[in-house]
Amino acid sequence: MFQYALRRLVVAIPMLLGAMSIVFFAMRILPGDPCVAMMGDQATTEALADCTRNLGLQRPLAVQYADYLWRSVQFDFGKSFRHGYPVNEYIIRMFPHTLILVLASAIVAALVGIPTGILSALKRRSPLIDYPIRIIALLGLSMPVFWLGILLLIVFSLRLDLFPLIGGGDLDAVIAMLGSGEAFRYPGDFLAAVGDVLHHLALPAFALGFTLAATVSRLSRSAMLEVVSQDYIRTARAKGQIERAVIYKHALRNMMVPLLTIIGLFVAIALTGTVLTETVFTRPGLGKMLVDAIGSRDYPLAQGAITVFTMTIIAVNLVVDLLYAVVDPRITYR
Amino acid sequence: MAIMRDAAPSDLVVPAGADAAGARGRGWIGRYWPIGIGILMAVAMVIMAVAAPLLSPFSPSAQFGDAVLKGPGFLDRHLLGTDEFGRDILSRVIWGARISLEVGLASVIFGFGLGVPLGIYAGFRGGKIETAIMRATDMLMAFPTLLLALIIVTALGGSLQNEILAIGVALTPNFVRLSRSLTLTIRESDYISAARALGAGQLRMMARHVFPNTLYALVVVATLYIATAIRTEASLSFLGLGIPPPTPSWGNILSEGRQYIKCCPWITTFSGLAIMLAVLAFNLVGDALRDLLDPRLRGE
Repeated sequence: MFQYALRRLVVAIPMLLGAMSIVFFAMRILPGDPCVAMMGDQATTEALADCTRNLGLQRPLAVQYADYLWRSVQFDFGKSFRHGYPVNEYIIRMFPHTLILVLASAIVAALVGIPTGILSALKRRSPLIDYPIRIIALLGLSMPVFWLGILLLIVFSLRLDLFPLIGGGDLDAVIAMLGSGEAFRYPGDFLAAVGDVLHHLALPAFALGFTLAATVSRLSRSAMLEVVSQDYIRTARAKGQIERAVIYKHALRNMMVPLLTIIGLFVAIALTGTVLTETVFTRPGLGKMLVDAIGSRDYPLAQGAITVFTMTIIAVNLVVDLLYAVVDPRITYR
Repeated sequence: MAIMRDAAPSDLVVPAGADAAGARGRGWIGRYWPIGIGILMAVAMVIMAVAAPLLSPFSPSAQFGDAVLKGPGFLDRHLLGTDEFGRDILSRVIWGARISLEVGLASVIFGFGLGVPLGIYAGFRGGKIETAIMRATDMLMAFPTLLLALIIVTALGGSLQNEILAIGVALTPNFVRLSRSLTLTIRESDYISAARALGAGQLRMMARHVFPNTLYALVVVATLYIATAIRTEASLSFLGLGIPPPTPSWGNILSEGRQYIKCCPWITTFSGLAIMLAVLAFNLVGDALRDLLDPRLRGE
């Protein structure tokens, strides 16, 4: 197991390096000079030369590349073109916003998707259960998250005035209160701040969660169908076990491995989803930061955000691969 | 005994026969309605895109000063309302179908054309070439489709060709992986050994024997990727990275309409609905094709 983990890690490193190289070179083949793109046509020659020197763009590409890789592994992505602050500070500030959105939508997706998927599989071909669930799942899969988000905003924020239209609540204050211990001294204030954050989170989490639930439901359904057609389920039934025991004791446990695959896929889809969800709901976060950075041609910021996204996806897939062995003892690694 | 003989056939056969016929009928409808609806919707989308000049009541860029941000109405000149420049939403949505379908189809063809030969070559040849192709694929697979397309479009700039290229490249790793894994199974088949024994060259075996046998699975997946490509195009346009306005695409109509959701929700509603229906159409067809063609699911 340890050897496998080590080998899997060794495979992940070139993958990460390759992905980072793609990001680096994509940002370098931009048409025109990044400094001109950033400062506009009106910039003086001195200002442009200054900019080029500050960004280190006068150095050979290979040097820039090596420098980027070396600094990236130290989590140093340079300074934002526009704001001048270090990119990693932005990322650290934005990460919690994206994390709570992914977690909240994961909870929505799991609570909705897994039970409906299982139910749909167990009641296969039932016109009252299976068909409606599958149709709703297909609609959820086809519905762009940004459109669902806008519909939710129109109904729940503009018409019914139940939820805020923009923003993400004061998550920084919540984290600061937790850090300083004020959360325990003034629990009322803390709960009010948490409530505000959750109030801002509800619609985005539902929008992203619903579209993800569609994927989770379809995958859970097929995973369950696969499991219930296995011989050991037939054996359990042949032993005369009641159906509930067959499902709980035999089928659900064996669904764990396919479900783990869902988690790996899920993180990739959810992170992509945050780019669109945060933009629609004008919420702070890594996704919105990436879109804004691209819009304002702030390449270090965009590069940093994409690198963090990629690192997260590769890391989650690595963990999922390792968990396979833990969950399913039949899986052994050479 | 005689009573039993008389009773048994009539008791058993009649209801069983009716039931079987009913089940067959339901099974047939149950199996084919999704693909029927999906194909109908997809064909409608294609007709809408091809015949946009004939179908759209106005030019997508015609501005009606007397009807700025006008709501939809059945008997009105503007059935689905107008936008902030007084442009007819229905006409823009109809013309937008062109961009979505063009990008959807062209990027899948691009991904297919690039990915399948690479995948088959990797699977058939094996060795270092396979390792190199698969490592490159793994690297691209680390990026979700939208993120990779977003990186490429950012680097190249937003235009129809660049969007097709970006989404096509982003889809390529999926085709490489699938065609390689299919090839690995096909490579071991008897008919490949037979072809080899007859002296067929590698290229011929790949083109004449391996490729046709990978096709059914690849077509199913390609149909589903058309849906992904349409959604990705809409997402890029929504983020302002797709085809720049005033050319109408569903994503940029929706993006422009975002500023007016308070007064004029119809702009975002109809353009979003168009995206959803197009994606749904290809998802339905792809899903149904997979169920019909996948032997493991056949007869279920």
